[in-house]
Amino acid sequence: MKFCLFLGCNMPAIRPDAELGIRLSLQTLGVEVLDVEGASCCPAFGTFPSVDEDATLAINAWNLANAERKGADIAVQCGSCYSSLKLGRYKLIHGKLEEINQKYLSKVGMRYEGKTDVRHIIDIMHNVIGVDKIKNSLRYSLKGMKVVVQNPCHVLRPSKKVGFDDPENPIALKNIVKALGAEVPRYSRERQCCGGAGGFAKHDKKANLEFLKKKLDAMKDEVDPDCIAVSCITCLMHMDNAQAELRKLGMIDYEIPVFDYCQLLAICQGHDPSKVARIATTPRDAVISKILRNKI
Amino acid sequence: MIEGRDPNLVKELIELGGADLVKCYQCGTCIADCPTGFSETPLSAKRLIHIVKLGLREKLLEEETPWMCVTCGGCEERCPREAEPFEIVLAIRRWQCKEDDTFVPLALGEIFARGHTQNVLNPIRKEIGLPEIVTVANNHEAMQKFREMLKETNVYKRYSYIFREE
Ligand code: SF4
Ligand code: SF4
Repeated sequence: MKFCLFLGCNMPAIRPDAELGIRLSLQTLGVEVLDVEGASCCPAFGTFPSVDEDATLAINAWNLANAERKGADIAVQCGSCYSSLKLGRYKLIHGKLEEINQKYLSKVGMRYEGKTDVRHIIDIMHNVIGVDKIKNSLRYSLKGMKVVVQNPCHVLRPSKKVGFDDPENPIALKNIVKALGAEVPRYSRERQCCGGAGGFAKHDKKANLEFLKKKLDAMKDEVDPDCIAVSCITCLMHMDNAQAELRKLGMIDYEIPVFDYCQLLAICQGHDPSKVARIATTPRDAVISKILRNKI
Repeated sequence: MIEGRDPNLVKELIELGGADLVKCYQCGTCIADCPTGFSETPLSAKRLIHIVKLGLREKLLEEETPWMCVTCGGCEERCPREAEPFEIVLAIRRWQCKEDDTFVPLALGEIFARGHTQNVLNPIRKEIGLPEIVTVANNHEAMQKFREMLKETNVYKRYSYIFREE
């Protein structure tokens, strides 16, 4: 089994430890992780898609074509990258493919056949690798710990074009966290988006923080979890960093550590936490020590 | 034509990717769960569509709310008419860029200059044992091809002042 790992921009630029968590956990599960030579920005919604659709599809097709040359599907964690590439692919194979190939890719000797697909890490973990294989790869577990999940919006909606899970009651991320031995209790604002993507925070910081606070309060009051498991670079950075701002403003008085799912998995598989979970604003040491005491 | 109202506005938005906006029947489902509802000046796809249908160009150009969208897809999922409100929000951004260059995000230039919205060559990579980056950011030949392809787009031709080869 092999996948082309699509990095996007935020992960390699700001959280390369999360990238390492993904690579090592996939490799431990027997997946060959390929790098896509010549990949670029997906492009993100606030860039080309906000200005011109053809240019957007050309860049989508450029990235898809580069992966296609490797003969494998794309694996991606960032929700925005997933959505940009998946929606772009949908538009391409439903009509624009030849035009975009001809007008843009052919000018630089490239071509996208429409074969390479885009899969999110949650989808790959749950539906390709499966929970049994994940369980068998563990040396430590999250036994005795409560973990809440934050599903990336972009893998759920619009479900007809990008979905692989029930958009109203997603279970895949929960199942793969449970496979690590954790209890995954429900909380009321589970379906609420983190608010980190796009221009919301930039245009109205106060409203954006209040929005996230509602979600964090629901987690704290209803579950009081050891940590939050996410699977999107924006959820990871926003839910982690904004907690510090909320504390500074006196809007919350607690801390909930945030991990990318593959960081938790990699630690449970025995990979070095100081490498796969190095960067965080909200301290994660207590959770990591707890995991390392849970030897299987 | 009523003064200040331009019936062509709908057509312009349809051409820019908002093809399904004619399906909208103004039910408001799209705003019920929109994260920006927490703001005193929320983004309302419903309202924006109404402005487009009324043909109010100047009013549409004044709107900054389309740029608040967090791209969560909630409206797109729930719209009972499959009017694709998220696609309409993007189409409105494109229309604004066309009408007024100052709307065009400068991140376009970043992507042209280094292939990404920011510097992906983080020195921590080596320290934690990550392989070298092989994207356009670290591959001169691919970067040249990527730029050559972008030069074919209308965006490049129209806003060439944004694009510089660093
Ligand atoms: S876009 Fe859809 S959900 Fe929004 S008002 Fe129109 S019909 Fe209703
Ligand atoms: S996609 Fe944008 S407009 Fe639609 S609900 Fe989400 S934030 Fe609101």
